Amino acid sequence: MNSFLTKARQSQWYGVGLLLIMTFICWAVFKIACPTTFGSADKMMTYLQSGLIYAVGGCGLYFIVVMGLFDFSIGAMMILSELLAIGSCQYIGYAGIIIAPVVCGLLLGLCNGIAYVKLHIPSMIVTTGLSLIYESFSVFASNWGGTRLDSAYNAFGSYPWNLILALAAFCFCGFLLKYTKVGTYTNAIGSNELTAKNMGVNVNKYKVIAFTLCGLFTGLMSILYLGYGTAQTPQTGMLSQALNFQPLMGTFFGLAFKKYGHPVVSIAIGEFIIAMIFAGFVALGMPTTVNNVVTGAALLIIVCLTTKRVNGAVVK
Amino acid sequence: MENDILLHAEKIDKRFGPTHAVDHVSLDFKRGEIHALIGENGSGKSTFTNMLTGILPIGEGTFTLDGEEVAPKNQVDANHHGIAIVVQEMGTLSGLSVAENLFLGDEDQFMSKGIKNTAAMNKKAQELLDSYGLDHIKATSSIDNYDFEDRKLVEIVKSTWFDPKILVVDETTTALSQSGREQLFKCMMHVRELGHCVIFISHDLEEVLTMSDTISILRDGQFIKTVIKDDVTQDDLKTLMVGREMSDHYYRTDYGESLASDVAVSVKDVSVPDELEDISFDLHRGEILGIGGLSECGMHEVGKAIFGASYNRTGSVTLADGTEVNDINTAINSSIAYASKDRDNESLLINDTIQDNITLPSMRDMGHVLSDKKLKSFATEYANLMSTKMVGVSQFVSALSGGNKQKVVLARWLGKQSDILVLDSPTRGIDIKVKADIYDLLDKMRKEGKAILVISEEIMELIGMCDRIYVMKDGKINGELDRSPELTEQDVIAKMV
Repeated sequence: MNSFLTKARQSQWYGVGLLLIMTFICWAVFKIACPTTFGSADKMMTYLQSGLIYAVGGCGLYFIVVMGLFDFSIGAMMILSELLAIGSCQYIGYAGIIIAPVVCGLLLGLCNGIAYVKLHIPSMIVTTGLSLIYESFSVFASNWGGTRLDSAYNAFGSYPWNLILALAAFCFCGFLLKYTKVGTYTNAIGSNELTAKNMGVNVNKYKVIAFTLCGLFTGLMSILYLGYGTAQTPQTGMLSQALNFQPLMGTFFGLAFKKYGHPVVSIAIGEFIIAMIFAGFVALGMPTTVNNVVTGAALLIIVCLTTKRVNGAVVK
Repeated sequence: MENDILLHAEKIDKRFGPTHAVDHVSLDFKRGEIHALIGENGSGKSTFTNMLTGILPIGEGTFTLDGEEVAPKNQVDANHHGIAIVVQEMGTLSGLSVAENLFLGDEDQFMSKGIKNTAAMNKKAQELLDSYGLDHIKATSSIDNYDFEDRKLVEIVKSTWFDPKILVVDETTTALSQSGREQLFKCMMHVRELGHCVIFISHDLEEVLTMSDTISILRDGQFIKTVIKDDVTQDDLKTLMVGREMSDHYYRTDYGESLASDVAVSVKDVSVPDELEDISFDLHRGEILGIGGLSECGMHEVGKAIFGASYNRTGSVTLADGTEVNDINTAINSSIAYASKDRDNESLLINDTIQDNITLPSMRDMGHVLSDKKLKSFATEYANLMSTKMVGVSQFVSALSGGNKQKVVLARWLGKQSDILVLDSPTRGIDIKVKADIYDLLDKMRKEGKAILVISEEIMELIGMCDRIYVMKDGKINGELDRSPELTEQDVIAKMV
């Protein structure tokens, strides 16, 4: 029995299996607590829809967080991307919905990367500072294109197009991680930057690439988010920061299960679990504030339970 | 004759601020030889080879390999020039697979239009591992699944699979068990048989004389001499390294002294899961107690257990006044000092100054408002007492050689006036002169009545310095040996295996 468990733990699908069990337990707990208002097939599809949006952003953040860095500007990038999409689609239709957020994300991500590499200050400070600038841009963008998406262009807010776009993003992320140098090098930089440099890894270049990719995935997340919500108002005074955390939660799942070799799948399932927990508490009639407390606590518990924490190990 | 020379170093020079680490060194390395590079800590050996292998940029001078000038930008660039290095500390990266580690920075051979053929990379990595007899290591597995030794072996494969013209082995053997060493030596011989050259850095002069053909000596960054191994003895090498005659007897010469009856620390039934099982012993005042054994026998955990740094420990560590030591703070407050084997990660704040490293545990005794002047003079006093080679106490510890780093660790605990010293591998990677200094210091402290526990993998150190030796095997004490002129290495080894 013990050898079976040891073998199972070494399997690359062990982590995914564990996450699926967690998903089922989570579903079962809420289903028992509120059998009529939670967990039916159509409701599950809604939770999945919400989870998919943030999982795409979580994939982008993964490239940054695996190197030990943070990007606190993705909320501002997302708002600006959506507002530019709303404006662009009035001129070029669906092309605007796709191109504007992707280009905006790529450019802002590139800006983040270059600023971080050139300024030599912590990524958290650089991206928080830049998010204030991006927030201001979003006010100009809303004046240009308005804040509401024409209902003729909300295909990415429902099945099947949201699923298709999300799956394409997941596949692209998985491909980058497994079949390009980006995955190996971001991991290597996160493990030991100096050694990575000594092995010929152009650390600054890959940091800029990682930030740019984060921007790209944020752009893709914006497409899904805009389709789902169909409107976006500009935010200033760092209010956009609130949007940073849900994608980040998925990224934490990806990191916690990285050792099993499927971070993208872990991010997606993780975000689905988070979406279910949110919906579960709504079904229980809890206020949103309590939801946030419980979701935050649930995240910490899940990561603690699934990460092999070593006594005395340095955790930063 | 000219054709025999594979690598020529011409007036290689490197400065780190005011420190002249390598001073215009010119050296020739021939084809088909193992060329040892020896010298005291801080003599410039590693700086010299780090410039050759792209870890450090060349200050001045040129390296000419096979008639072509080389100045590698990094290790992979050095590999492309046919130069490889196996470093002293861990050289593999966590979070990556074995295959990714093997080809890190060199993935282009598996890339086509920006896409990496992961399957081909894994296949080649596994073939290489199998060809080295390391089929228990799986190319697709995370490197984190393997222990230090296996990771070091992966590093050896990484550095040698492409038959480098120059292979630098920088003080690697101390990190390996006997079988690991044999594997490394096999690779070194293979490089030599191919007509290439191995630059072998080691403080173990016996190993140097066994393995190498030619030996070059550096001292204080300067080239001293190149000798043929058959023409010299260990003593000749010591003299060349230090610049004066070294006494053969740098160990203690006293025998027959009886132990003091005062027990400083009493260790009772200490167990740590998977590491130690029911360890009990007393450490007396004025005694040097040695603990030896094979590297994985659990002896290194004993030091941590006494210092309160061991997790999930059961049993008790009790001081003479009845204080139970269960955590590090209690240990420090009770005048216990601990120097870990993993000096850079566990004993030193590597990216901090000598001053901070020395004063840190003593700050608690200096009041709430700290005076920089006082801290500086405190650090300077103890750094000088240990004859630390430094520019000043504001120098960063990372810039010091291994031996001087160890002096900083010892200076810290000297400053704290510790009465009980737990020293794990106190002379690991340290040259003979610093070793002699440390042995002198230990003997002096013993005579002052301090209780000293020395954990060491060097049998001669245990025999030469300790009043009693406990030999460990599989997490348990397997035998006790008393100090005696008749005690031999074989007596200790018999209890180890």
